[in-house]
This record gives sequence, C-alpha cells and structure tokens, in this order.
Amino acid sequence: MITTNHGLSRRRFLALTGAAAGTAVAVGCSPASSTNTGPAAGSSAGSAAKGTVTVMSQSGEFGPKEAKAAAQALGLTVKTVEYDLTKLTAMLASGNPPDVVRGLGATETPYLVARQVAENLDPYFEKSTLIKADDIDPVNDVWRYDGEKQGSGPRYGFAKDYSQDCTIWYNGGLYDAAQVTRPSGTTPLLFDELLEEGNKLTKRQGAKVSVYGLNPNGLGLFQQLSWMTDLAGGKLTADDLASVDFSSPEAQRALTWYLEYAKAGIGPTVLNPDPNGWDGPTFQAGRMATTLSGYWLGGLFSEDPKSAKVAGFAPAPQFDTNRRVSPCFGGTGLWIPRASKNKDAAWAVMEWFLAGAPAKARASGGWGIPPLKSLQTLMPQKLPYQKQAYEVQMAEKEHFSVTSFTPYVRVDAINTIISRELPKAIKGTTSAGQLADALNSQINAQLEDGKKRLR
Amino acid sequence: MSSALTEVRRSAAPAAAEPVAQGKQKPPSLRQARAFYLFVAPWIIGFVALTVFPLGYAFWLSLTDSDGLSPKTHFVGFANYVEIFQDPLTISSLAKTGVFTLITVPLSIFAGLLLAVMLNQRLMARGLFRALIYLPAVVPPVGAALTFRLIFDRDAGAANGILSTFGADPITWLVDPNARYVLYGLVMWGCGGAMIISLAGLQDIPRELVEAAQVDGASYWQSFTRITIPLLSPVILFQVITGVIASLQSFAPLLLSSGSLSGAGTVPQGNYMYMIHVFAQYFSASRFGYASAMLWLLFAVILVVTLIIIKVSAKTVFYTVEPEGKR
Repeated sequence: MITTNHGLSRRRFLALTGAAAGTAVAVGCSPASSTNTGPAAGSSAGSAAKGTVTVMSQSGEFGPKEAKAAAQALGLTVKTVEYDLTKLTAMLASGNPPDVVRGLGATETPYLVARQVAENLDPYFEKSTLIKADDIDPVNDVWRYDGEKQGSGPRYGFAKDYSQDCTIWYNGGLYDAAQVTRPSGTTPLLFDELLEEGNKLTKRQGAKVSVYGLNPNGLGLFQQLSWMTDLAGGKLTADDLASVDFSSPEAQRALTWYLEYAKAGIGPTVLNPDPNGWDGPTFQAGRMATTLSGYWLGGLFSEDPKSAKVAGFAPAPQFDTNRRVSPCFGGTGLWIPRASKNKDAAWAVMEWFLAGAPAKARASGGWGIPPLKSLQTLMPQKLPYQKQAYEVQMAEKEHFSVTSFTPYVRVDAINTIISRELPKAIKGTTSAGQLADALNSQINAQLEDGKKRLR
Repeated sequence: MSSALTEVRRSAAPAAAEPVAQGKQKPPSLRQARAFYLFVAPWIIGFVALTVFPLGYAFWLSLTDSDGLSPKTHFVGFANYVEIFQDPLTISSLAKTGVFTLITVPLSIFAGLLLAVMLNQRLMARGLFRALIYLPAVVPPVGAALTFRLIFDRDAGAANGILSTFGADPITWLVDPNARYVLYGLVMWGCGGAMIISLAGLQDIPRELVEAAQVDGASYWQSFTRITIPLLSPVILFQVITGVIASLQSFAPLLLSSGSLSGAGTVPQGNYMYMIHVFAQYFSASRFGYASAMLWLLFAVILVVTLIIIKVSAKTVFYTVEPEGKR
C-alpha cells in the first residue's frame, strides 16, 4: 500500500478528483439560466436578435450550409447539431438544449406541450413580418394544442413543408401493363378497389414478389388505422386522448382491411418488409405500382426522367361511407424549447428558414407543400407529372383536417406494440377481434401509465 | 502423459518459490506520490465522470418515473424493480437472452478452437486462410448485420436466389421462426475473433510438451485433451467470460438484422432479447426510469454470472504461472 506523510494523501486526492468531476457534471447539469419568455420588443426578425443559436436538425434539411446562410442573413452565430432523440433528451435534461429543434408537428406536439418542453410561439407569430396570420396554411394547426385537443390553442411550432400523407403515387406504366385503369385524379378510390387493383398489379416470380401492387403503410400503422377508422365513421382514440378502442365496428373494419392486405402478400408488411426501408427506391426501380406516400415523394422524380414519365398522383382513398379525410401525419418543422437560452435569436432563425429565402427555394423543389399559401404558387409545374400532381394536390387540400394524437405516449410506443402483435394476426393464429383485444389492453396500459406520469 | 503435465507444474514452481520481499517498504517521497497521482489522475477523472456518475445517475433514474423530457418526475422507490419481475415481456426477453448466450457462446468458442487447431497445422497458404477466416471478425457489426439483412431478404436476397435455382420456394428468413437461425449465422460469422485468440493460445503451448507426451505413447486425442486443452483453459475462460458478457448485452445485430429498420417493434419475437426491450422502453415508450432499472438488473445478472463462472472455473482452469495472490 502506498502511503504518504505529506499533504497529498490518497483520500484527499480522491476527494479532489471527485470534486473536479462533480463540478464538471454539475456544470453540465445546471438548469438553464435563461428567463426570457417572449420576443424582445420590436423584434420580428434578425434585427434585434443577437448571439449564438444552436439548431438541431437533419443535415439534409438544416445543415452547416444553411447555418452559414442564416448567419450571413441574420448576423448571428448559428451552429448545427444532427437530430438525435437521445442527444436531445440529454441536452434537455442538462438544461442546455438546442435553441431550435426539428419535429413532427402532427404526432409530437401534444407530447411536447404536455411535458412543458416547447415554447408557446404565439407572441412571436403576432409580431412576425414574414408570417401573416391569413397566409398560414391550415396544416400548421397540427402544431397547435390547447391541452385537450390538437388543432386549436397556441402554436408551438411551424412546418417547413408538408404532405397529405395518404395521397397516392402510382406507376402508370405498371397499371397499363396489367390492364388496370389508372386512378382518377378527382374521384378517390375505395379501399376495396385499392386492394383488388393491388392484387392485379402484383407481379410474382414463383412465390417471390417482383413488383409490389400496393403499399398502404404510410408513416406508421397507428396513424393509418386511426385515419381509416375515421373514414369508416368512428374514432380510434377517445375524446380525452387517454384510451384507444380497436374493437369498435369502425376500427374492426380498418383492421380487417389491413389484415386482408397483409395476408394477400401484395406489398410490404412487418412480416415481409421492403429491403429498401422506404418506398422511394422501390418505386423508382419500377417495383411498386401504388403507394400511399403523399405529395413529397414526387420530389424524387424531377431528376429521374424514367419515373417522371410514368408517375401519377391521386387523392387519398376512402371507404364507401362518403366520408373524405386527407390527413397530414408529419408537418415536419421546427420548435423552440422553453429552456432555450436565446429564444429571440432562435425565432429569427426559424422565421428566416420557414418563411424567408430558404422557404422559397424549397417551395420550387417539389419535396413538399409550402406552409404558407403565398409560396404555394411556386410549387413545380413544369413537367407533366408535376402539373398533374399540383392540380390534384390543390383540390385535395379541402379535405384536410387535424387528427388529435395523445399527449400521454409517443406514437412510436403505440406502433411498437402494433408491430409486435400484428404478425400473429397476419399468420392467422389470432383473429382481428383477438388482435384488437391485445392492442386495447397493451396500448391502454401504456396510456394509463403515461397519464399517471403527467400528474 | 502425466509426466508432461508434471513438467509444466515444475516449470511453474520456481516462480512460486521466489522469495517475497520482506519487511516494510520505504514510504514514497512527495515527488513520487505526486507523479503517481498525476499519472493516474486522467483515468480516475474519466472513471468518475464517465462511469461512476452515469451509473449513479442511472440508479437515481431507476427510482423515478422519468420519461426523459418532462420536468415532472416522481420518486417511485423500487417500484420499477418490482415491475420487472411482473412484466412478462421483460422475463421472456431475459430468458431468450439466456438461451441465446447458452447456445452462441459455446458454439463460437468451439468453432474458433476447431479453426485454430486446423490453422495451427503446417498447411499450404496457411496465412491466407487465417486472414480469410479472421476477416469477417473485423467487419463492423453494423455492416455485417445489414449485409445479412440483404442476403436473407425474401424477395431480393441472394439466399433465396440460390434456393430458387434448385426450384425451392422462397423462405421468409427475417421473421419468426427463421430469424433466429439468421441471427445465429450472423454470430457464427464472426467466430474468426475466437479463432485468433485460441490460435495465440495454441502457439504459446511449448511444442516439446506435446512431443514428450507422444514419446510416452499418447495419441493425438489424448495429448489434445490432456495437454493442449488444460494449457489453453485460461484462454478459454477469458473467451467464456467476455463472450457471455457480450451475448447478454447483444443489441445492434438483433436490431439491424430484422427485416425493417423502423425500431424495436419490428424485431421478430424470437430475437426480441433483453437489450432490445431496454431500447424499446427508453426510446419508444420513453420509460427512462423503468429502462434504467432493467439495466441495473442486467448489471447484477452479469456480475453474478461472471462470479459463478470464475468460481466454477477455479478447479478446471490450469495456469502455468499461478495468478497473483495465490502464491
């Protein structure tokens, strides 16, 4: 054992080391010192904002290039951090969050607001010179939540662009080859027709599928089933957003249709996923006839003449109930954490990115519908497929309405449970009714637990 | 036979018989002490900040209902630990992890040893074979898992492509019950790592011991089981302990070799092991408190299993030099 007779004993050394590490940790974990709660007087853009803004986004959306442009335009220092939920959680927990964060307004807003993480941006919108109230597309209501319902109340974020995610892209060449009439641009297909045509459009080599006839999975099964239940005339989530009911006749209709699709083996499912992971490459390779992907997918085809030649756009399908809803499950945009230390500057960056020069550039790219009505005339209409998609999309806007998501759990948690239970039903070992019971019991337990944690 | 082993023990004996320094050591000077503490300080600071603090923080989280975002976090005592033993998914995922460990650890050590013995012979192009077999072990696990996912895709994968040339129907490899075979294949794909460790151990065995045993009339099998294996036992013990720990913590291959990359929910139930459930609890369900309790339980399980292995191995592992503290 080493001992010293001098001042630097082992105990003292360890104490000092612990203190040093503790100090480092404490600095990292100290609560945010900021107390600014609203926009600085007279600030609507970058003029009054100063300092450093950290933006957490995907590098393809707001990366170093955009940060440099923002810094030049606004006279701020703008840093970027790649979006990562783990990192965001750690930064929020340490009281040192990014100033602007990427998010999916449709499914995340109630969750963030209920946890008091997102800043109410109404005071900033009121003073904005770039975003006028009457110019805001209704889709931005997915970023509003009044504590009970999504779609009303304060705004907590704003979309950078959006799609009505159940609208259809189809490969006209595959429809013609299978002698199936191309979907109408004005009359929505019925779900039964969609399934029947999907079967006809599927190409097989032996037991292998070489061309998928249909992919109705969208951005997530819970979102899709909620929408289909709505179309059938029911509600999957209760009005208090604290429970789900997959056993209602309307929800059973949606589940049964999906199980029929999955059992038919005409498109990707949890039991037979698309190796590409998403529809873009599969569609471009001529291996997918129909996909419920939304307008944004068309951005892929502008530099792909082969796809541009055959691609067509159609309204979201419906059941025979005459109810027509064309939802948005993304509304990807930006929000500002309540603990941001530089909210005025954060708003300046956000406003510039969502309504300034970058927004105009994005609008003409075709990778989504601009969040401001005034920018929607810039959407691409040069190529025939772009013109057709633009006309269908503009008519489809009428059928948008906000679907309320629960604040009690992340939508990922619900989709995890659905993916876990679905294979048994697809294989036929459980019925649609048994699947509904399993989903009700597991999802409702999670919702109850989440609600308890928000006490 | 026994004479060869006796020889090994004799060769170890002088080390054991070395006189231990007697009497008190002279206390180090202030300068020596400062130098010592300066040298160890980076490690100590790193250990405290990056290991002790996160462990403590995770333990604190495990006593709360934290969701990672909300400032409203409640202290729930040991409720999360109690829930672990009442949650069928947690218990079943732990059981699956145990079975996975029991199968893959012995299998990969055995395969590695077999390959090492073969490649320890005088063969033509031995270096090339060693490199080829070791190569998959240096491929990053993420890359290997994604490659397996492509190979075993039902409609576009090479595995079904080969089967179809023989007229066989395609197999849905990446879902239950076949997904577990793909996973075992993926684990065995990296057995070159075990091979290289066993090969190093084999090359450390004095050749004269084996030759002496053969002169005494021992067959190849006898000299392998009574000289090679005992002398290789510390290396095997090392592989067992590190293999068990790695298997109990398996995560990336399980997540990435599933058909979809959409998260824990798409991992087939056969491969839904403990760390996948932990991941789902953290990042899908946002149950940071419960997931932290699960990690502490895993830490305890690994500690207990490792202690049991060390205890059980005490009488079966043969050291040519006695371990520290046993002199």
